Parts: sequence; C-alpha cells; structure tokens
Amino acid sequence: MTHAAAIRGKARELLQTGQVECVLGYETGSRGRVRPAFIYRPEEVERLVWNQACTHNLTTYLPAKLRPTKPGQTPRHVAVVVKACDSRAINVLLAENQFTRDQVHVIGVVCDGIVEGAGFERIPESGAAPPPALQRRCQRCDDRVPLVYDTRIGEPPAEHPLAENLPGDAELDRLEAMTPAERAGFWLAQFDRCLRCYACRQACPMCNCPTCLYERDDSLWVGMGIGSSEKRTFHLGRAYHLAGRCIGCDECERVCPMNIPISLLNRKLAKEIELAFGYRAGLAPVPGPLVTVLESGEVKP
Amino acid sequence: MRVLSRAELGAWLDALAVEKALLAPTEVESVVLYRPVQSSAEIAPLQGNASRPVLSIKEAFFPPTERLLLIGKTTGPGNGTGGQFRLRETLPEGEQIVFGVRPCDARGMRALDALFLHTQPADPYYARRRENTTLIGLACAEMGPSCFCKSVGGGPDDPADVDLMLTETDKGYVVQTVTEKGRTLLAGLELREIEGEMPRSALNEPVPIPDMLAWPPHFQDAFWEQSSERCLSCRICAYVCPTCRCFAVRDEALPSSQGEECYERIRCWDSCAGDAYRRIAGGHNPRPEKGQRLRNRYFCKFYYYPQQYGPVACTGCGRCIEACPVNIDITEILAHLVTG
Repeated sequence: MTHAAAIRGKARELLQTGQVECVLGYETGSRGRVRPAFIYRPEEVERLVWNQACTHNLTTYLPAKLRPTKPGQTPRHVAVVVKACDSRAINVLLAENQFTRDQVHVIGVVCDGIVEGAGFERIPESGAAPPPALQRRCQRCDDRVPLVYDTRIGEPPAEHPLAENLPGDAELDRLEAMTPAERAGFWLAQFDRCLRCYACRQACPMCNCPTCLYERDDSLWVGMGIGSSEKRTFHLGRAYHLAGRCIGCDECERVCPMNIPISLLNRKLAKEIELAFGYRAGLAPVPGPLVTVLESGEVKP
Repeated sequence: MRVLSRAELGAWLDALAVEKALLAPTEVESVVLYRPVQSSAEIAPLQGNASRPVLSIKEAFFPPTERLLLIGKTTGPGNGTGGQFRLRETLPEGEQIVFGVRPCDARGMRALDALFLHTQPADPYYARRRENTTLIGLACAEMGPSCFCKSVGGGPDDPADVDLMLTETDKGYVVQTVTEKGRTLLAGLELREIEGEMPRSALNEPVPIPDMLAWPPHFQDAFWEQSSERCLSCRICAYVCPTCRCFAVRDEALPSSQGEECYERIRCWDSCAGDAYRRIAGGHNPRPEKGQRLRNRYFCKFYYYPQQYGPVACTGCGRCIEACPVNIDITEILAHLVTG
C-alpha cells in the first residue's frame, strides 16, 4: 500500500468513527502544486496525497483549529499528517499548553525528505531523471521517523543514517567564520529586502502569539515603518523568541518571497542553545519550555 | 521600424543614469528587484522571457514606507506653554526613469492612477512621483506560466501604458515612442531604420474572467471559507501585486532634540489579508475570519474597485500565484466564479 493510500484509509476511519472533526493533510492543488488540505468528510479523503513535495508544516494550523469556538465547548479533535520535523513542533506546542495530546491524532509519515521547489512547482514524478534535489534541511536531517504519532505510515529505515555521515551546515560555518562587523553587514543586507509581509511569522507553528509584539497598534518599541531598523528589530526579536523553540522546519525561509535566509538565524540560536543547555527543541513532549521549567519546590503559577 | 543595438541600448542607459535616477531589474541574492543602478552592467539579463521582478514597479510610485509630514512644536513664551504645532509636507523630489517595465506592471499604473490621481483630492505624493517618472517598457517575448495579462485586457507586448516601448528582435531593440515624455527621453539618440515585421509575443491559453454581475451572488458562497482555510493571513499577495494600494498611516516619534521636528507622519503598505486590517478603535474587527478577508481581496479586484474607480484591479501578472506559499491561485478563484 502506498503512503497516500494508508493516509486516506486512516483519515476515512477517523472521520467515519467521529474521532476527529477534520484531517489536516496534503492535496494536489492548481498547477500540480502540493498544498495543505482540510478534510471534513470521509468521501473527501481521496484528495489526500503523499509525496516528496509535502513541505508545509501543518502543525501551524493546529492551535486555531483546536481552540474552542465558544465558551464551554467540549474539546475539539483533529488529525494531522506530520513528517519527523513537524512532529517536533507538536511536542513544543504540547509543552506550551496550546492543546492537549488527546485532541490530536498524529498521522506520522516516515519521510524520505522533501525536494526543492516543493509547494511552488509541479510535483516531481517519482523516478524522474535527474531526481530533484532534496531541500538543504532534509539533507542535514537525521530524523526520518516522527517522534510522536498515533498512526505511523511507512516502515522505519533498517539503517538509521548516522549523524556523522550527514553533511554539515556550510552556511552556518560561513556565518560563524565572519567577524561581528561582517555578520552585522551580512544580516542588514539580507533584512534590507524584507517587506514585513509576515509570511515567515504566519507560516511558523511557534509564532502563535495572539498579538505579535511587532504589530501592536500601541507599540512604542517597533514602529510601523518598513525601514531598516524596524526590519532588523523584527527579525532579531523573532529569532530570540524562537530560541529553544524552533524545530527547524524552515518553512519561514521557504515562504519568504525575498529569499532571506531566515532559518540561518534560527539554526545559529538552536546551536547556541544546544551548546549551553544540551537542549534541542521538540525532542520530547515532557520538558516545558527551556527557560520556564519549574524545578521541584518552585510553585506553579 | 527604428532599432537600437544591444550595445547602443547599454550606452544610452549609462548616459541616462548619469542625468537621472535609473531604476532597473537587478538581481539581489537570486531575487530580481527594481533597484537604482549606476550603469547598464548592473541590470539583470533581459533576453527572451527573463523572469519578471518579484515586486512590481508600484514601489517606485508608492513606496513601502513614505514620510508624509514632519511635525514640530514651537514652545510658547515663559513656561513654554501655549506653543503651536507646525506641519511640514515632505514631497518627493527628483526625476526617475524605470527601465524594463513589463506591460502588466505598466497597466497596473492605470488602476493606481484611478485612485491616486483621478479621484479628488489627488494624492500629492503619488502625483509628484508619477509626473517625475518615465517608463521604458520591455515587451515579453512570451507569457510566463502564470501570466494571464491578455485575459484582463492587457497583453505581453501592449505599449499602451509606458512612455517608450522596446521589443527585442535579432536586429536589436525596436523602439516605439508612445508619449511626449518618451520622445523627450530619446532626444539626441540616433535610431537605425530597418525593414521588417514587428515580432508578436506568444500567448497563453486565456483564463476565464467572470462578468461583474457574477460576483454579488457569490458573496455568501461557502467557497471563500473553504479556500481560505490554508491561507496564512500573510501579506505576500498584496505586496507583490501591481495594483494593491492599501496603506496605514501613523505618527511616529523621531530622534530629535527639543524644538526641532520631533514626529513624522508615515504611511506604509497594508493588506486586507492581515487579521488586524479592519480592526477599529475599541478593538472590534468586522472582518475577523480568513474567508471574509479572502473574499474581500477578490471582490475588491474585480467588483468593488471597478465600480468605485473604473479599472479592474488585476493585470494578470501572476505574481500572487507564484509567491503564495499555500497555492491560493487567483485563476482557480476566477474559474470558480465562472463555473459557479
């Protein structure tokens, strides 16, 4: 059975039995491009697909989809298709109490990596020559199997790729080799293209503040202008807010219409966090957010 | 037909760049954008159907952020009370030339003009830039995969909205003079007269465009909510669009010493896709749902804007199709309106 058929079968079962109100998965949209799909009825499950263009991190839709629509409503339940990277986001969202574990049926797909151009181009045929290149994040990824799931689609690989065989992060190495002044120059040149369209923030599962600090009408910290100081403040501030929370799906970078290497900032901070605290975001649901874990004796608010 | 060779075109642009600000498609970190250039060597490749810049020429007339006023305060005598506020309008200065303008972007100026110039009162900032800008168009040899300019009244070689139109041939660039401004720009330039046929641009299959009357019955269509579920509520579609022209205005503090102008009034791009776009004083948001916002985007382009200002607010450039991270495709929306 193909992964797509397995996903459809599970989705049909979950909808027929009323375990979930909606299944968040992938479908083929216009121009052969893969896009997120919201499936509500068993007869719609045939729309669901799985291939190496399923790039979107669908967990970004979960908090809104699971929030009560009226006071006193019984908890809502949805199913979501995730890759290994996306599954780490579920762990972070759970740790941050965005929803409870029982509200989400996680359909975890064993992933062979996502290709460049996914979401923006026609799905590459399997067996196409030359095979499309994997996204750089996938070339570096050592998690093929989702870390959290209720239903697993696909068999875990017999041989797990070893971390030492994976390519390093050449962009990060280049950034770290720069002097602070060179680094500042590099980032200011990148942020110069930013339009404050907020696509990076909107695509990010961790950017779920009800009102973004950088978009408050009454904010005295960041002006409304689309100028260099506002753009720098937005990007650096967002990076700090994601430190210890970013799970590296790199959707922020994929969606940026200006090709700003946003995820490079996040990777740098993730590396610093790992060095300082031995912590990687999303590996387990148990620990709370990095800087707010309450040790024994500390009182919960 | 009068033509300029590739080398002559380069030399001409080099000379223009000395006289005036010259904006041209430039590759910045693999993104093509209109940027000021000092010489023609900085211009991104133009041959054939080189991809259009990610942003339209809109930003040359309606920049992402623009200062409208400086606000200062004079202190009164004695204890400093009784001072007055002083406002100073800051109109844009200087002439500019935009080179490599695609016909879709030029047509977008019609939609912008309808609001900013032809609806009273005219917008003085926009009007000043419009008056001081010359557009050198470049015909597309063929339509790109997401282009549908021909279906919304334009065309890949339509010279109607530029001052000068260039069309690439194997003998050089054919020059068409469209306006007096264009003629002035050509002054002193030797053009070669050659025999031949004007090349025709290759066209795509037309995209069905609904009649205006088709829109109102779809106001309550569940389609909007369904199509908007995947929408991220980002602003890419509006910001890459040659005709989206919404903005927000705010007064912000300037770093300044006492007695000088200490506030500026700015306007910045805004987008009806953002969830706070319609939020009003007191916090009420009359358009809180994504489906309502998506509906507004397309009703505005094809129904509200034509009704209020005349032109359809879409030039078929296809940028929103290419830039949307979740495949919200304007041609799919239009097809739904056509087939019901």
